[in-house]
Amino acid sequence: MGRRRRSSSGDSTSTDTSMGGGGGDMGGDGGGGGGMGMGACYVYPIRQAEVPALDPDPDVVYRRGIDMTIPMTMDDGRTVNMWGFTDLGAGGGGMGGMGGMGGSGTFPSPAMRVRQGQVVQTQLQVDMMMFHTIHHHGIEPEYRSDGVGHISWDVNGMYTYQWRPMSAGTYFYHCHTNTVLHAEMGMYGALIVDPPDGPGRAFEGGPSYDLEAIWAVDEIDSSWHGLSWEAGTCGGDVGLNELNPDYFIITGVDGAQSALSHPGVAVSMNVGQRLLVRYICAGYLPQQIRFGGLEAEVVASDGRPLPRSFRATQLDAVSAERYDCIIRPTRSGVHTVEIDIKHWITGEVLGTARTRITVN
Amino acid sequence: MRRRTFLKFSMASLAAAAGSTAGVLGWQPRAHASTIYKTFYITEGFITQVTGEDVYFRGFSSSTSSLNIPGESMIVQEGDTVRITVVNTLGTSHSFVIDGMVDSGTIRGGETRTLVFTARNPGSHLYYDSRNAPYNRLTGLHGGFAVMPQGRSNQLYAGSRTFRQQQFWIFNDIDPAWNNRVRYGYTPNTEYRPRYFTLNGLVGRPPGAPGAMDPALDAMADPRTKLDGHLGDRTLIRCLNPGLGQHAVHTHSNHMEWLTSNSQPRSEVWEKDIVPLDGDGGGVDVIFPFNPPPDAWPVVTNQTLAQAESEGRHFAFPMHLHNEMTQTAGGGLYMFGALTDIYYHAD
Ligand SMILES: [Cu+2]
Ligand SMILES: [Cu+2]
Repeated sequence: MGRRRRSSSGDSTSTDTSMGGGGGDMGGDGGGGGGMGMGACYVYPIRQAEVPALDPDPDVVYRRGIDMTIPMTMDDGRTVNMWGFTDLGAGGGGMGGMGGMGGSGTFPSPAMRVRQGQVVQTQLQVDMMMFHTIHHHGIEPEYRSDGVGHISWDVNGMYTYQWRPMSAGTYFYHCHTNTVLHAEMGMYGALIVDPPDGPGRAFEGGPSYDLEAIWAVDEIDSSWHGLSWEAGTCGGDVGLNELNPDYFIITGVDGAQSALSHPGVAVSMNVGQRLLVRYICAGYLPQQIRFGGLEAEVVASDGRPLPRSFRATQLDAVSAERYDCIIRPTRSGVHTVEIDIKHWITGEVLGTARTRITVN
Repeated sequence: MRRRTFLKFSMASLAAAAGSTAGVLGWQPRAHASTIYKTFYITEGFITQVTGEDVYFRGFSSSTSSLNIPGESMIVQEGDTVRITVVNTLGTSHSFVIDGMVDSGTIRGGETRTLVFTARNPGSHLYYDSRNAPYNRLTGLHGGFAVMPQGRSNQLYAGSRTFRQQQFWIFNDIDPAWNNRVRYGYTPNTEYRPRYFTLNGLVGRPPGAPGAMDPALDAMADPRTKLDGHLGDRTLIRCLNPGLGQHAVHTHSNHMEWLTSNSQPRSEVWEKDIVPLDGDGGGVDVIFPFNPPPDAWPVVTNQTLAQAESEGRHFAFPMHLHNEMTQTAGGGLYMFGALTDIYYHAD
């Protein structure tokens, strides 16, 4: 590219504040700069003196570790590496429908499921020479429990987040370190807050349900999946401004074919039963979900009851939105649920994930 | 023929120029309509991005020697007479448009045009150059224009939920190749591949980065952009998107009260931690309530905030777009994108 002619004018004193400039100390102070010789910039180690005291008597404790080698086999036979949180053994609290127990990671990460008003602690253990966090998306705790690196810290070693969810509904948790990459790599899991009486009702005073489905719909750009955890944090073009997905998935299952029948995703129910669909737009791109001809009553979004529910056969959503939808079929039949994933600039449909509701 | 000398701007000069306006915080309700005068100068220049790349822009600027991107925000009152003079210092044709209110038609290179119109349609609007759409707008020719309902100091439109303070979040996405084509008078002929994502013309400068916490450089420190409040300081945020990408506006610590989409009041106000913001001129109005973070344990009170302040700790949270590609610059540098911070203060 040719050199541009330039001149200073007015008050535009030519202080070079760009990353590429001569004065650009790559974040050696203020906690930035990725000490510890890990080759990363703009990560923020824990400041122990500022770590808040924990409640000695929590109702629920989750212990999460890190697994960076989680092969996912797609319907076309290819394997894509995912990252995720492991369950290091929970003390108290129920497990949701996503993921399993044990020390090895799953995609998505094991669900958290708690009741409104419980004091919850999430311990994160990062043993490797890298940083991660847990942000409980939609849960709004004190800032040091929010899991955002530049505001509090990124975690290397052990850290415990503390929160007390006060609104029943559908949430998810995800890593917030180099988020653009880590969340795309799969570092998320469902987070369900039940009302004080437990599962079976969407929220206090809300509708009841007989069965539920958690559909976290995501797109995967496999070309990102060979990057290292700190990719791009020191600068350089690693392509994180462009997401060109080649797989479209529902709750960790390929939406090309497998999700149509996978027991963790597809639903089989009886006429007259009430299904609660917890729909999570878990990717970065806009989506449209269509319920295969069924009508849903949309009762909540983003962990809050709607002031007035509404009926819909399809919904549009953008990244990280959640919608809680009650479906009560009146006839038997097979319904193919389709979720289009659209380009965030052109609106072009890039792919469609499919699952099925079979009404007996 | 005079050869053009291109201005080169650091981001500091932009925010400094923008900071000179009475602008948002200076607005007071008036019993009577008045006449509002404003002059915009269409200027051009290069702005050095955080990667070191110089990118070409055009803007509705506050002087012939500045380059304001976005242009200074304006707040007027319903019924005001607005007299806007547009001085086109460039050799190319442009326009000044507020949908439903004013359309200058073509303002040729070197021309000065005064537009007079009556402020109506209470709410949040973009002013922008509609010529050569969307390229001129994307290249920086845009800004925020708010019309307050007559006689109300704390409502978005008559009867809306109330607020205590207000500000603009104007998002843009930038493909330097497109801007460069506009510079030479050509229509962009490549696929749109934005590499920079700005909020009020700035990007985040995380701790330790050059320019971090500089209010003229860091979107997390710019007073036009960051949120500051005490408990209960309900803040109206007028989100406008002259860029092309569809966004997911995400606040931590409080759900937003979602008042409007694309200038239409919503029939019910939903509480959302994500609000969709359409591309290509979309807009949403939200109120950030500055409630204590509801899921904190122990419970957060003013005393909590006072203690943090006495210990020199920021009680802060981010606002960021959740389509995370927008959190990058030049294909990497997470946190150098369209984000800001939300600061809670003790009474
Ligand atoms: Cu991570
Ligand atoms: Cu999130």
